[in-house]
Amino acid sequence: MVGPQYDLLANPLGAVRSTFDTAISSGSDPTSLNGHDWGAVDLFRHFLSDQSQLSQVPLLTPSTIRYVKPNTLVRYRGMIQDMLGNEFYVGVYKDGSVWRTNKFTDISQYPIPMDSSAETRIWERRLLYCVPVPGLNPWAAPSAEEVGNLSMDWASEQREKRRRGDDESSDMPVDGDEGEGSPNTKRMREGECPTLASQPQGAVPEIAGSSTSLMPGLNGNSSSCIVKIYDAPESELKLNDIFEFVGILTSDPELQEDNADSDLSNGFGEDPLHHFPPNKVPRLHCLMHRKLSVLDFLKNKPVIEPKPDLVKGIREALLRHLSAVLGNDDVAAHFMLLHLLSKVQARVDALAVGKFSVNFTCFSKETASVFGKQLNIAVKNLVPFTHCIPLTVEYLNTASLAPKKNYDTNRLETGVLQLAEDSHLIVDETQLDVGTLNSVGVENARLLKNLMELQKVEYDFKYYKMEMATDVQLLVLSEGKSNILPADVIVPIRPSATNSSEAVAAENLEAWRWYLASVRQLPHSFESETQKMVESDLVAAIQADRSLNTQDLSRLVTMGRLMCLSFGETTMSLEHWQMAKELERLRRERLK
Amino acid sequence: MASDSTPMDTNNGPSSPDNSLSSPIPNTYSSPGRRRRRQSTTPSGTPQPNRSRFAASDATPTPSRHRARGGGIPSGRRVPATPTSTSEDIPMSSEGGDGYDMDDAGPTYVWGTNISVEDVNDAIQRFLKHFRERTSSQGDTDDLDLDVDGKYEKLIKQVIELEGESIDVDARDVFDHDPDLYNKMVRYPLEVLAIFDMVLMNMVTRMKPMFEKHVQTRIFNLKSSTSMRNLNPSDIERMVSMKGMIIRSSSIIPEIREAIFRCLVCGFCSDPVPVERGRIAEPTVCLREECQSRNSMTLVHNRCKFTDKQIVRLQETPDEIPEGGTPHTVSLLLHDKLVDTGKPGDRVEVTGIYRAMSVRVGPTQRTVKSLFKTYIDCLHIKKTSKSRMLVEDDMEVDNGQGRNAEEVIFDEEKVAQLKELSKQPDIYERLTKSLAPNIWELDDVKKGLLCQLFGGNALKLASGASFRGDINILLVGDPGTSKSQLLQYIHKLSPRGIYTSGRGSSAVGLTAYVAKDPETGETVLESGALVLSDRGICCIDEFDKMSDNARSMLHEVMEQQTVSIAKAGIIASLNARTSVLACANPSGSRYNPRLSVIDNIHLPPTLLSRFDLIYLMLDKADEQTDRRLAKHIVSLHFKDYENMEHDVLDLSTLTDYVSYARKHIHPQLSDEAADELITGYVKIRGRGKFTGSSKKVITATPRQIESLLRLSEALARIRFSEWVEKHDVVEAFRLLEVAMQQSAMDIRTGTIDMDLITTGVSSSERMRRESLIQDTRNLIMEKMQIGGRSMRLLEILEELKNQSPGSEIHLNDLRSAVATLASEGFLSMQGDSVKRT
Repeated sequence: MVGPQYDLLANPLGAVRSTFDTAISSGSDPTSLNGHDWGAVDLFRHFLSDQSQLSQVPLLTPSTIRYVKPNTLVRYRGMIQDMLGNEFYVGVYKDGSVWRTNKFTDISQYPIPMDSSAETRIWERRLLYCVPVPGLNPWAAPSAEEVGNLSMDWASEQREKRRRGDDESSDMPVDGDEGEGSPNTKRMREGECPTLASQPQGAVPEIAGSSTSLMPGLNGNSSSCIVKIYDAPESELKLNDIFEFVGILTSDPELQEDNADSDLSNGFGEDPLHHFPPNKVPRLHCLMHRKLSVLDFLKNKPVIEPKPDLVKGIREALLRHLSAVLGNDDVAAHFMLLHLLSKVQARVDALAVGKFSVNFTCFSKETASVFGKQLNIAVKNLVPFTHCIPLTVEYLNTASLAPKKNYDTNRLETGVLQLAEDSHLIVDETQLDVGTLNSVGVENARLLKNLMELQKVEYDFKYYKMEMATDVQLLVLSEGKSNILPADVIVPIRPSATNSSEAVAAENLEAWRWYLASVRQLPHSFESETQKMVESDLVAAIQADRSLNTQDLSRLVTMGRLMCLSFGETTMSLEHWQMAKELERLRRERLK
Repeated sequence: MASDSTPMDTNNGPSSPDNSLSSPIPNTYSSPGRRRRRQSTTPSGTPQPNRSRFAASDATPTPSRHRARGGGIPSGRRVPATPTSTSEDIPMSSEGGDGYDMDDAGPTYVWGTNISVEDVNDAIQRFLKHFRERTSSQGDTDDLDLDVDGKYEKLIKQVIELEGESIDVDARDVFDHDPDLYNKMVRYPLEVLAIFDMVLMNMVTRMKPMFEKHVQTRIFNLKSSTSMRNLNPSDIERMVSMKGMIIRSSSIIPEIREAIFRCLVCGFCSDPVPVERGRIAEPTVCLREECQSRNSMTLVHNRCKFTDKQIVRLQETPDEIPEGGTPHTVSLLLHDKLVDTGKPGDRVEVTGIYRAMSVRVGPTQRTVKSLFKTYIDCLHIKKTSKSRMLVEDDMEVDNGQGRNAEEVIFDEEKVAQLKELSKQPDIYERLTKSLAPNIWELDDVKKGLLCQLFGGNALKLASGASFRGDINILLVGDPGTSKSQLLQYIHKLSPRGIYTSGRGSSAVGLTAYVAKDPETGETVLESGALVLSDRGICCIDEFDKMSDNARSMLHEVMEQQTVSIAKAGIIASLNARTSVLACANPSGSRYNPRLSVIDNIHLPPTLLSRFDLIYLMLDKADEQTDRRLAKHIVSLHFKDYENMEHDVLDLSTLTDYVSYARKHIHPQLSDEAADELITGYVKIRGRGKFTGSSKKVITATPRQIESLLRLSEALARIRFSEWVEKHDVVEAFRLLEVAMQQSAMDIRTGTIDMDLITTGVSSSERMRRESLIQDTRNLIMEKMQIGGRSMRLLEILEELKNQSPGSEIHLNDLRSAVATLASEGFLSMQGDSVKRT
């Protein structure tokens, strides 16, 4: 491909068209393209494979949206909240004697001659509705520098500056660590209530006077986005996945007149797009997409291998921190660490192998408020996506936890439990009082229980329920053993001090985040030697206590595996297996 | 002709309800739906100039049209093409037709293709006239058979008699008869269907010249069904068929087809004005020459003609949704008879034409966006039920006609796949493994449940006596042996599964009760769980907690398979052809090895004997099992499971497999198997007559032989075999034995030797022990007096060794022998010393 004669950032559509023309002139038959790429995507992929080029692409956020010009290249990070189906559009058409394409745009540049129907080809694209990742913590949100340079001044010198700025920005979230803690929690809690929880995807509050927006008719404050996907296999993009999309932002004032008057929508106005007028929700024609993991949300990624000694150091420090948060309770801190490292590794039938939910008990109302808050802050600082559900009777009776399909709007209305993979969820049961659950409450309690036991959330499609697999780390705080939420392990907490945790150094937090994110991803295997050993240990355990069931044993193996992982080991070692067993023994003693 | 009735029935099902619901329009008038289909064009490159040739014949809803169509010679008549429905008004060219002229000189081709209209016409005629069911005539005998009406000629006659409006054409028949025609039909449905309709009307008029109605062809049962997800632009304007669930249906939209205007001044009524391009041109001037007043014409509503239209939203069924996806939806456009054939929540299979419609920018603007809305113009809707096992199976012998409304037709591919599966030598084991795979071990219980799912053959003798084919199973066992989980699983899998808990069920709740309707005061019969699970499996948890009264109601159900009611002036006998799967805890919560099996189960023997299989699920401590469990758990964590579980069938395949077997496989007993059954039965009977046996032993009754027969039939079904072989019978015997743990039962006392279960000692070992007990008894009788001195165990051991020098006797064996004797009250034991009592 020749060097881009178009500015790919500012005029991506020009590049799309020029590659199309090139392809046509070099003999491609536009009628047989069938929507497949003709080289435009390759061009962009090549261009953006350079990290520095990619970071030049402005990131679409509520704050930047008013500065972004339409028909330019933008990035968007978000979770796929709903899939709006496929859209058929005129892919290529003949304008006079020239073939034109409509790919990556909403409106055709030249009017489509409708009378010569043979000269058009219909292609399809997928529509995805994306929202910002639910529960995204401020430190993981893109900083102003990361958002991208919006001044359209792409001088390389600026780029240098930007990179330095990036490093400095790393301590920014830490500043807010202590101070922001409580308002944060407050905000979180508010966010959980159903009306507000559903806010991000629907009613984006209209801000008057957003006339500064460069997008004609596009108001600011849009946090969601409709992404139009071309040329991607369906299996690549799944519901609740977090993606970074790079594509062309379009805005078409003409589209706003698109009223539901056509025959089919007249029936019930169910076209979801009508609920997202383009002036509220921007459209992104996706050129490239990339699945993001937790690691992608870390500010500066240390490019070090997880070396055992290094990992060990970080692990010790983190344990100390967790122990301090939990009132110097070492055992609880260990369980907390294992919990934070857990991840569903496989699903066998209904079983989610690898999950490790923890229930901290022996909280009273007073201690809960102290430790609960500390724990909440600590978790927030460590993992990028966190949620907290204050479990009360009223909450259970009113909250909409499960996502629900609304057939009137043909939209999937989100629920609190529509969470991205690797989210962390704290359920604070200490505030639960005596009360009566109504049918919603019973259903919600059941949903939470299912999530806990199976790591699955039932999405309500009215005529049937559809189970969606999730991977959420669940932490339950309660006075006694929680019967509503049967966690994998119950750890009675024994705080010996109530020292409020000391301020944590920024670089420590960075290291811990990196540690948690990267160690979790490590593969893990078993050597046949240790495998035998573990097996006989299990057999011995069953013989000693016949009340042990499959779950108990499975959990023990999970603990062993997580313990090894916490040391950055990829194979099970006997030493750490013993540690896990010892930890379990200590816990069992507390239960007596 | 048995299979012949199937498609008919299937279709009468959905279409019958609308007879009452049909539009208030006089039926002289015919399908605008079809017309519209033909008219609305899309810019996708489908034929246009030619399309208009059908316009005349089937587009204009003028009364004359029927005749024109019927005669098929509307040559030269120029009728303005009826444009699409009001809303489908696309600025597309659907210019007025030139009139269809069959006598056109030279071949006419469907535009853009090499399909000759005449050829298609002939092909369809051949098909309708000559198609015969494979069973009645084979290939070349067609000509010989001409005096017998073909399938579709018969159908046409039926339609004429019933004054029906449509005829259902099985696409598979078309394919069998003429694959080329089938392909053309699927590829160019608009054109081919138009010709189809025309040929059909020709035939109708030839058979009954005065037939007024317009008869439509409704194609169904396409060879391949598309997934909603895979619909893509290349499917546009093609005939597709797909399964889905109706999620929304609009209210019925009356759509105007012809309008009549009246002059307010002179009262003159205009001729019917047809809809043109979605609009009706209101005459601005009174057409009567004398009047000619301006703007005086007004619409006369009750003289206009309307058709029913309905928009229905179809959504993918959960089983078609890939992981991490949301269900896709598609709009269906229904007309006339199809309106209201499905309600939200129904699972349907739809055959129709996939259409795309461009989106206008504004209601009045002619500019078109580059986007399209898609929908399916429905030709046929069939209700299906997929997720559960087939509800209707013809296990029943008094199989009434017309019951097949919800029949699931397995496509050939699926059947071939299932048959392939059945040929595997380890299919029995595989199915066992696939049943509740997350429940560990319990293979024999699962095998029993599998037999229950497949069921035996029901039999009805000419004398009126009937033998049930349903297998009843009772699970008795210690708490925590996943009985309830098994029940839940079977409940999910089985057709019309009903799950109740014994504690909360009353007798009437299970059977049927008479209630007074609060409004009318009439007495009505309400079905209970067992009646509701007719042809299904009724799962009753906590059977032991059920009141005796409620349980006694089950007697009739489990053998006669009916529920008889005689109360409040209603005497009725309801069918309850259900398999009962019950589970209970032993009488003392835990199994007491000292008591006999019957005492442990503590259910009346009358009821017990009605269960074909009674499983004792005992919690055994066995290191082998523990080790396997440990291995299983460890492998779960380390990816070995992939190798382990690969041969497990998924739920839907399992359901299909079971449904297919229940429907199509009716095994017969082979002579060899019959002999085996007889000898085996005699052997069990003999066991009951064991000398010195107490009456606590479950002796074999004629019921047992029926059970064995059912089990063997079920086992043959599992293999898709039409013959019950000897090994099926052997396995059935084994299942029966294993179920009761009879291998471990002490026949003389009726108790289970717990040591045997826990340690897994072989039966020869048991014999050895029995002889040891006998020897010990003899020895003690010999050496000790009642109330005399006690003897130490070691002494007894010495004595025994002296008596029979060849045998090796261990102290432990002796100890257990003595313990057995002690439990009989023959002696007492304190520490190591034995005393005769």
